Amino acid sequence: MNIFQSIISQAIVNGVSVETIVLLLLLPLVVSIVAAARHFIGFRGFGILIPATISVVLAATGVVNGILVFLTILAVATFARMVSRKLKLQYLPRMAVVLWFVSLGVLAMIFIFPTTISIFPILILILLAENFIEVQIEKSFREAVQLTLETLIIALIGWFILSLKSLQQFVLTRPEIVVLVPLVFNVILGRFTGLRLFEYWRFRRLLRR
Amino acid sequence: MAKTSSILGLNARNRLFLSLNKKFGRRIADSKLLTKKILGKYGLPTPKLYAVFTNPGEVFDFPWETLPDNFVLKPSSGFGGEGIVIVKKKAKWAGEWYLMDGSIINIGELRLRSLDILAGQYSLHNLPDKAFVEERIKIAKIFRKYAFQGTPDVRVIVFNKVPVMAMLRLPTAQSKGKANLHQGAIGVGIDLATGITTYGVVNGQWIKYIPGTKIKVNGLKLPFWDNILTLAIKTQEVIPKLGYLGVDIVIDEDRGPMVLELNARPGLEIQNANLAPLKKRLERVEGLEVRDAEHGVKIAKTLFAERFADRVMAEEGIKTINVWENIKVVSAKKEKVELRAKIDTGAWHSSIDKNLASKLGLLKKDNVLWTKTYKSGLGQEKRKVIGLSFYLAGRKIRTIANVSNRGSLRTPVIVGRRDLAGFLVKPREG
Repeated sequence: MNIFQSIISQAIVNGVSVETIVLLLLLPLVVSIVAAARHFIGFRGFGILIPATISVVLAATGVVNGILVFLTILAVATFARMVSRKLKLQYLPRMAVVLWFVSLGVLAMIFIFPTTISIFPILILILLAENFIEVQIEKSFREAVQLTLETLIIALIGWFILSLKSLQQFVLTRPEIVVLVPLVFNVILGRFTGLRLFEYWRFRRLLRR
Repeated sequence: MAKTSSILGLNARNRLFLSLNKKFGRRIADSKLLTKKILGKYGLPTPKLYAVFTNPGEVFDFPWETLPDNFVLKPSSGFGGEGIVIVKKKAKWAGEWYLMDGSIINIGELRLRSLDILAGQYSLHNLPDKAFVEERIKIAKIFRKYAFQGTPDVRVIVFNKVPVMAMLRLPTAQSKGKANLHQGAIGVGIDLATGITTYGVVNGQWIKYIPGTKIKVNGLKLPFWDNILTLAIKTQEVIPKLGYLGVDIVIDEDRGPMVLELNARPGLEIQNANLAPLKKRLERVEGLEVRDAEHGVKIAKTLFAERFADRVMAEEGIKTINVWENIKVVSAKKEKVELRAKIDTGAWHSSIDKNLASKLGLLKKDNVLWTKTYKSGLGQEKRKVIGLSFYLAGRKIRTIANVSNRGSLRTPVIVGRRDLAGFLVKPREG
């Protein structure tokens, strides 16, 4: 039994939930996948933490519930942004108005489709909505939709990995591998200067010349 | 076919080149006011500044009615052209102006926009920002039929004091008058040697005509081309903390080229607009010894001329050298040692004296490439071939050279034809 394994069994004996341990150990793996999706493939998404947290949220709420709440929030936020723009308010009050709409929208959704979803996943999804609106303001609606879709795709991959039963068991039996592999992987990834997969398409005419 | 490794992707840009932009340099590029201040200090042209607002009080105290007929309100740290109000001319009533699209804006709305800017609505991460009012660029006549309701500008990427690539950015209806490719502006490649436009790209698609018109994107000769390139280099000279820099230059009908803003993370679409890979060019000029802006312009024009430009540039880019030239040989310790060399068009490879090479540390094992049998007037001889770098007439030449005993000859180095591309040799002095 190596040091990782003994720490984990000790923690479980002390009453730490197995689920928490599994999620914590898998989180580096999930963020590595987010990083690889950006540097090898070219997915952008909203940073690294948001796709990773959404993966965890989806794992906690169930994928259908999570996406339903997420889409509700996005729809309401977009609508609220259009309305609040007419009011010509300064930035923070305007953002507050948008979040007012979002809160009520989620509340309404919960009344219509009763779920047992807790407040924290909802809050995290609202955080995402702020990012979405920010990109809409800074870039364009098209860009925001694209980034959101990319975020969701990465999050779904993350969710898929988090919910693999065999991987969950593997984490507990061989934690050292799941801990060390992402570290090595990211050191290599961070030095990679080749083209991203999407860039082969983007620069296709250059490559053909 | 361009090699994958000669294209600059995001990974390579971020890891290899953006690290050349130091913190202070990025701070300058991210603040239009700071950019203006520094460039102005060195006498480089930027649009005239009318007012700066750092707090709401100043916005309310400002006598808006006294502004000229047209002006631009901008956030200092905005990006992508967001938050900018371009005022075209005075409207019928005092305190009202026409915008570029014909709608009317009044003092109250300008104040509100200024307050939004101060609150950080258009700045990165919504940090509090400054707002300023500056002169509106009078679009040069030549661009009027090309641009939609906005100001076209020229993006020049400068690296090691050499402009490596340039493109014209044309605002469109989709970009709402902004010269930003992400928002749908057109990027048009420019031949560095002549300033003539080449290819066009919009939304990742290549175009031959400005959408909705019969105006060709290629074949437009930009005015003040040399000034534009020189201005871009001089900008980097005064801000050396930006080693890999995008300079956005506008051409005013009356005042000529002016620096509008700097970009410390210039985008990659410029490669599609020029249909030319950027990384290869960056590697080509890396380590070159560039004396001044004029020199940098010349290097760019020589190295990166489009094929159609060969005739136009003709002799301008080709350097004339004498038979006897002083060159600087780079030693193993990266020191430059100046010495006399003979330009020998009768030899293919360059050649260096054995004693000299050994003194410079160039005969070390890792620098000897191979040993080869040479035939010469003296019979057959085995010579070492080494990696050699030297500067000839300001150009860095990285090549291979053979090592021989030149102790009794007039110069310790001869430069052969292999290393003389782009040079003309004068057979006699005078």
